[in-house]
Amino acid sequence: MNAAIDNHWYPVAMISGIDAPRETLLLGKKISLGREDGTCWVLDASGAELPTVERFGHLWTSPGQPNRDLFTIPEADSPGRRLVDVGSVKVKCSPLRAVENFLDIAHFPFVHTDILGAEPHTEVDRYDVKIREEVDEVWATKVKFYQPQAAKSAAGGITTEYMYRVPAPTCSVLYKTCPPRPGEWDVITLFVQPLTEEWCEVWPWMALYDDESTMSEMVSFQQLIFMQDRSILENQLPRKLPLDPGMEVPTQADMTSVAYRRWLKKIGYTYGAQLVAA
Amino acid sequence: MDWVAVGLKEDVPPGMVIPSRISDTELALWCTPSGRYHAWSDRCPHRGMRLSHGFVRGDTLACIYHGWQYNEAGSCEYIPAHPKLTPPDTICVPTYACAEAGGVIWVSLAGTDMPLPVLGGRVPIRSLQISLSAPDLAAHFGAHSFTTIAVVSDHEALLAVQPCTDRTCMVHALAAPDADRKVVSRWLEDLRATLEGVPS
Repeated sequence: MNAAIDNHWYPVAMISGIDAPRETLLLGKKISLGREDGTCWVLDASGAELPTVERFGHLWTSPGQPNRDLFTIPEADSPGRRLVDVGSVKVKCSPLRAVENFLDIAHFPFVHTDILGAEPHTEVDRYDVKIREEVDEVWATKVKFYQPQAAKSAAGGITTEYMYRVPAPTCSVLYKTCPPRPGEWDVITLFVQPLTEEWCEVWPWMALYDDESTMSEMVSFQQLIFMQDRSILENQLPRKLPLDPGMEVPTQADMTSVAYRRWLKKIGYTYGAQLVAA
Repeated sequence: MDWVAVGLKEDVPPGMVIPSRISDTELALWCTPSGRYHAWSDRCPHRGMRLSHGFVRGDTLACIYHGWQYNEAGSCEYIPAHPKLTPPDTICVPTYACAEAGGVIWVSLAGTDMPLPVLGGRVPIRSLQISLSAPDLAAHFGAHSFTTIAVVSDHEALLAVQPCTDRTCMVHALAAPDADRKVVSRWLEDLRATLEGVPS
């Protein structure tokens, strides 16, 4: 048991996808889950019941005693949004690498070419990053980037504004300019289930304003993006995320990732992390 | 350490990068548009991405993740996220001695004063993966070194052996220029079957 790792909420299934009971892994340990009479349950390997929360279309559990509630996303509750269960993608990388990649914009022109970015628009301007002590979350704001096709709903290239939030070690919430409603934020999340330290299941979820696209078009768009990310994530060495400086070289564009790594270290979250001593 | 064959020239045309390895050392093997070969550690120092997934642009190798460009000395000279920045000299990729001779690309991990292997005018035929360690393969021929193993009795063949894992190696085969390529290729497949203990 390691409280710093166990006492968090983790996504383990998309609720609409639970038909029969099944087994999965959480932090390297077998768990089972299912749904009966509309209520989800999760058991650990010994058959003991684990706490559950059903939120954002997903089932959450914890192998420990979470000392706070699962985070909320108030913006996602506003009326008129389409809530999109994207599905899951298993990736052979540390859950922390998956989150860090989600926080990165500098890769857009090279990995999501002509969709989320395109040369020569590669420059990343300075933005604000903060660990908000009062809520114990990492936030990056005033992030701006030129995008040829920012979302399924975008008609052409726009400079998109982003805000990133890390409310839990293996989750991130992105707020980005909504192409059809420039005054509002689209919400795109990345919920990561740590199967093991070097293998994860990623559950993206979205709350968008988009009256035009079909559900499957929105899902396909996000899946395409994440497949492109996966080709990166499975080819980074080491597979675990180095938390100590020295192994990798950050620049100003990487301020969010620097803050994320620093925060993980501060809260003692070492699952999927590579420390110098290791 | 001696020169080790890591690939055939025809497999790495100008402007191309491919993954290769010598035992546990993973390599990004690339060729500039003007035909100069380089063998580097297969890892971008920025975020650990494999450089063998990158792309050659001008005389640089660029990482596919963030487009960082490395010059032929392995030094980072351009970071697209910060176009006006001159990257510090400390951002560089470990490089290894690399040269082409006789249509084969050779690498020496520790650096070497040894001349490149003499191939006696032979030409490359093909590369073949064999499920046998490089030392075991050399032992089969009674050879002490596996840089090149001459098999004079068969087509004047020369085998350049690349250690891959404890149980596999890659054999880059050369033969006399007038040898029938199909015949030599068939001989190599028979050789592999024998070495792997499979009835041919």
